[in-house]
Amino acid sequence: MSDQPVTNLSESRLASTWGAVTGSWLPAAILLLATIVVWEAVVRIFAISAFIIPAPSEIAQSLVAQWGTLMQATLVTAGEILFGFLVSIVVGIAIALVIVRFDWLGRALYPLVVLFQNVPKVALAPIFILWFGYGLAPKIGLILVIAFFPVTLSMLAGMQSVDRSLLSLMNSVGASPTQILFRIRVPHSLPNLMAGTKIAATLSVIGAIVGEFAGASDGLGYVIQFASTQLDTALVFAALLLVSVLGIAFYYAAEVLERIIVPWAPKFSHA
Amino acid sequence: MRIETIRAAGGRPAHIRHDDLISAKGVSVVMASQLVLQNIDLSIPKGSFVSLIGPSGCGKSTLLKVLAGLVNPTSGSVSIAGLPPVEAARKRMIGLVFQDANLLPWKNAVDNASMLLGIADKSLSRADLRARGREMLELVGLGDSAHKRPHELSGGMRQRVAIARALALDPAVLLMDEPFGALDAITRDSMGESLLEIWQRTGKTIVLVTHSIDEAIHLSRHVHVMGIKPGRITGSLDIGLPYPRDLSLTEDPQFVRLLVQLRTMLRASHQPGGAS
Repeated sequence: MSDQPVTNLSESRLASTWGAVTGSWLPAAILLLATIVVWEAVVRIFAISAFIIPAPSEIAQSLVAQWGTLMQATLVTAGEILFGFLVSIVVGIAIALVIVRFDWLGRALYPLVVLFQNVPKVALAPIFILWFGYGLAPKIGLILVIAFFPVTLSMLAGMQSVDRSLLSLMNSVGASPTQILFRIRVPHSLPNLMAGTKIAATLSVIGAIVGEFAGASDGLGYVIQFASTQLDTALVFAALLLVSVLGIAFYYAAEVLERIIVPWAPKFSHA
Repeated sequence: MRIETIRAAGGRPAHIRHDDLISAKGVSVVMASQLVLQNIDLSIPKGSFVSLIGPSGCGKSTLLKVLAGLVNPTSGSVSIAGLPPVEAARKRMIGLVFQDANLLPWKNAVDNASMLLGIADKSLSRADLRARGREMLELVGLGDSAHKRPHELSGGMRQRVAIARALALDPAVLLMDEPFGALDAITRDSMGESLLEIWQRTGKTIVLVTHSIDEAIHLSRHVHVMGIKPGRITGSLDIGLPYPRDLSLTEDPQFVRLLVQLRTMLRASHQPGGAS
């Protein structure tokens, strides 16, 4: 009987989440539609050449005509993103744990991690190609160096923001640093970590595309580069559209993961 | 026999009364070259309910932390049942409750209540811990909310879970630092009554830091008044009112007399004093 209110509560929370989603999507969808209409109209009225700005309808045509090639490229890029994203999360978490758990190692590692953050990592792409060839490895490497940082930083912030009196409680009963780390700091950092993971998801897409620009024979980045040398701007935009869809898909996958892993986390509601 | 233990452990003559559970002798604390506590002597008998009251910055919370072993005194000594506070805490003799309940948001009330016990005693199984957590929730009046997460509980309920968490250790002493400070007046009153009930049922020794005069008189057997600059005990008052006490007590002429007396002592303690 005492379970009843809890069930009702989670149901009503689901309902309100759905309400927040539709409520926040609708204005954005209207604006997007209006933009497309205006875009189409401007291109037609001023007769702008398709290799400078293709009309949305021309992009759609290209998308349909090149569907097979584009899907194949999307699959390749999606694979790179997924693999690189997962590696970034694992490495990012590992670095954060090491920094928090081993004080001296943390003091050595943390400044270097921050310093490394100032290296323009896009510029590393040619070096990675040189080292790892044209396959999957340089893309994973590039995604890793671009995307691990928000994971590490957000998890660190979460682990270090544990209330002092909670730590006092733990210390008073003789909890070991490892117990405090895994029972308190790590679970406490999960909401932060998930926020960092969402940023990493977006950065992973950038990493994959940059990696493909630098040297690839497949993937959406390759398609964009190839199409632009052919002055097939409509195909560039079609590929760009698919890259964006991938970005959105990975972002929302991370968000769904967040709601599953940290249902207690405060939500940013638009309702 | 206990006195001998004290002598062996502390290496100093133990002129502590036999029934004193908590004893502080000449405790001073210097923090960031500020004298936070000056020469505190305190002896708290077993089973007593003592309040520390004083203005902000009088070091009452620091004194509680010294008793809990969380702050080391710069000079002087503290013993809990003859042990240094840190050792007493490791032996689960000290239960702590702070102003913020500090529950783990990813655990339900039962698991929160048994969380510290699980850390302190690794031999207990998950089922043992749950049973103990549930028992403690019953004790604090939250038997029906065992499976609720902290965000489904009110502020007062969360603080009850925090008290249950401290009691789960079965400590000899309950040290409470403004446990009801963040609660509204009505919740405060009912929390106070519950605390008295728990105290009478369990026989724990309770030390309560508060800035509420009413709360101090309503709940405690003795009140120590603290003053500022430096933090020190400026006076003590026995509350002679019989237990059980309820809220009708506040209309009792003796309650009013104590209220006036305590208020006068507190007003005097607001004046910075030198070495007395």
